[in-house]
Amino acid sequence: MADLMLLGLFDNVEIVADVVDDVRALGVDDRQVEVLSNVPYPAKFFGRKAARLWFLPFAVGGALLGALTAFFISKITPQLYPVYVGGQALTPVPPAAIMYFEFVSLFTMLGSFLGFIVQNRFPVMSPRIYDERITDGYIGVTVRASLDVAEKIVEVFEKHGSHVVKREDAANFPSGNRRTFLLWGVAGVAGLVMAAAPLLLTYDVIRIPWIDKMAHTVSVGYQEGPRRAAPAAAIPLQGPVLINGQPASEPLPATENSIRRGEMLYATNCAICHGYGAEKEGATVGNAYFQEAPALETVVAELSDSEIFLTITNGKNRMPSLAENLTPGETWDIVNYLRTLSADATSNADAS
Amino acid sequence: MLESSATQGPYWEQPLPEDEHLRHQMEHLREEHLLFDPRPPAELNKYVLAAMKKTGPRFWLLVLGLGGMVSVFLVTWLLQMIYGIGITGLNRSVMWGPYIANLIYFIGIGHAGTFISAALRMMRMDFRRPIARAAETITLFGLATAGLFPIIHVGRVWKLFYMLPIPNQRGLWPNYRSALFWDMSAITTYIIGSTLFMYVALIPDFAMARDHTSGWRKKLYTALALGWRGSEGEWHRLETVSNLLSFVIVPVMFSVHTGVSWNLSMSLQPGWHSAIFGPFFVVGALYSGVAAVILVMILVRQAMGMGYFIRKEHFNAMGIFLLILTLTWIYFYFAEWITNWYGNLPPEVAIQRQLTGPLAPLFYGMLFCNIIVPLATLWSRRIRTNLKALFVVALIIQVGMYLERILIVAAFLSRNELPFNWVDYVPRLPEILITVGAMSFLVLMYTLFTRVAPIIPVWEVYEGQAVQSPRRIGRAVVPTRTEAH
Repeated sequence: MADLMLLGLFDNVEIVADVVDDVRALGVDDRQVEVLSNVPYPAKFFGRKAARLWFLPFAVGGALLGALTAFFISKITPQLYPVYVGGQALTPVPPAAIMYFEFVSLFTMLGSFLGFIVQNRFPVMSPRIYDERITDGYIGVTVRASLDVAEKIVEVFEKHGSHVVKREDAANFPSGNRRTFLLWGVAGVAGLVMAAAPLLLTYDVIRIPWIDKMAHTVSVGYQEGPRRAAPAAAIPLQGPVLINGQPASEPLPATENSIRRGEMLYATNCAICHGYGAEKEGATVGNAYFQEAPALETVVAELSDSEIFLTITNGKNRMPSLAENLTPGETWDIVNYLRTLSADATSNADAS
Repeated sequence: MLESSATQGPYWEQPLPEDEHLRHQMEHLREEHLLFDPRPPAELNKYVLAAMKKTGPRFWLLVLGLGGMVSVFLVTWLLQMIYGIGITGLNRSVMWGPYIANLIYFIGIGHAGTFISAALRMMRMDFRRPIARAAETITLFGLATAGLFPIIHVGRVWKLFYMLPIPNQRGLWPNYRSALFWDMSAITTYIIGSTLFMYVALIPDFAMARDHTSGWRKKLYTALALGWRGSEGEWHRLETVSNLLSFVIVPVMFSVHTGVSWNLSMSLQPGWHSAIFGPFFVVGALYSGVAAVILVMILVRQAMGMGYFIRKEHFNAMGIFLLILTLTWIYFYFAEWITNWYGNLPPEVAIQRQLTGPLAPLFYGMLFCNIIVPLATLWSRRIRTNLKALFVVALIIQVGMYLERILIVAAFLSRNELPFNWVDYVPRLPEILITVGAMSFLVLMYTLFTRVAPIIPVWEVYEGQAVQSPRRIGRAVVPTRTEAH
């Protein structure tokens, strides 16, 4: 025998509580009864048991996922791509604590929300018995019952002054749960893919040759001169000072230490264009923008010390000024180092 | 004693007592308290929906004006992208100017929304009921506007991916040991959390709108309501998830403005490197945020005719809240100032001289707006419940708090440990246009939102009206509070 779906509308909590009692007296299981309202009346108002809640697994699961995310960011990534800053350990506790706090909070909230959606079987994808007057303040009671019991329930509804009684075939209201779960399953998989795909690239699981040479990135000039003019009353600091239009500061003697310092500084600041050691061409050679960087061994021999100094300090043609990167002393160190290069070149030429 | 107050008829049709004296008191209570003045939900639904659908010429004129300001903002931003950040007045050593001040300000006004809905919900304060949505909406769009500013501020927007925690071979991974990344994750958490929190509470109202509209609105609300019917289980889970989100989001809210302040205080910049900066910023955020909520309450009430929902009692309660925050803010500002002043360190003295010297009009103006005006007015119930006066006070606090942010960012940076790096910052047109345009963006989004979503959380009001009732004690009728859950 087919079941019927009944809906009665009432305007008072007391009456609904009586209706619920009377329907229960007819032997209808509590799970077949539902009370619909536009006000969050607790179930105890109608003498019914509150629905069982399952938020804990969602919230805890979210929190664990958040902790895992924080662990990934604060422990695994620094191990894979170590960057040393300011003498900090790779995984110092205070910043890691912030990560754990934020991501545990975020995923706890997402988990709770997901729990809310899933427990309510939202979004509802199949028709359910309903009346639009419920949001106007009427309280709806729906009962699913077999035909003979349904008649008695309708009597109960009418006895208590129901405004409306809807009678529908229960077959019209199939459970739409499967479609809802399917939707969330598909959405979940799509979300995972969307979240994981960029990680595959950024964590080098899939390797694509990134543009990692500075020469290939777009160069943008600064918008203003490197330094503002010093205030009128400014006092010069100790040490060599380079002032535009005046002779460069004192050269440093070409001691062994100075030459070694110069070599290190050269490797950092100059080698990318001018080449270093056996590699006579820098990494930028072959790029249209940088192609003119000359081999220094020949050029340097034709220049005086102060000419080299000024070229490094002020730049020349496409070579940028290194005034901000090197102190005058460091520049002299490089000059001293460059002198040893041309001396090597000359002695090599002599030997052959 | 245990008789139900409503044995017959719906809760909105309960008769007044017969005794004339009690009846008179009852009528007075109904006038004052929204929750004791129930009306049929059918009538109130219609009222709220009609206000949502109303778009007269004045509304479109406003949208057009704000849209114009937003396009000026976009064009200015485009010019800044093309010509570079050099077209602004920003330069060494004031590299953080109004853009970062705006970030702080807009995140700040977003704080009150969540505080009102989450913290007051946890404390079961009934005055939050009609204003929670209006406040949460500020949070949503305040954060969206604030989110623009790091992007505007970096200048080369195409390098924005450096903000994301992705490793790269340049060895420049912006890792979690940087305060900027703490802030970014806090703001992301907050914006996602507050959107979820707001959406959960919107579902029953979308269902209400679904049942009483037609056309495109019906389709939109049907989708957004997710099939809500208001069964006991749905309500029970809604209450539970709201409580859960409240308890998580309040600490997150504190972490957000703390994170913003740490962007400043983790540096060694004199004046910024201070342990009090986190709580000080949180209090400042709540202060400007509550003032912003009051502004919005007044505007929504007057422009949309929501006088029934938003009453004097709500302005009174928010005014008291604002007064408490005024006092708290004064305390924090003073504690911060006196520590620096007593320490007498040369760079900090230079900053204080700057504030009390060339920038004195701004500095004392800020103190006037944030201290003198609210203290002189908010103690009075008459002013707290006078909409015009309260509007002016809340607006003055906005000006004061904005000045405070500008001074903390730009004025503090203009003096530092190296006197040759001292510079006086003067804003140029681009920053000003972008700031005004961003403000217009916030107002525009808010205005459009009030036409799409119910700005009054009607189900929360109905819940209060259905459950709360006054009680007679002796010869008086007094408000009582019922805890239904």
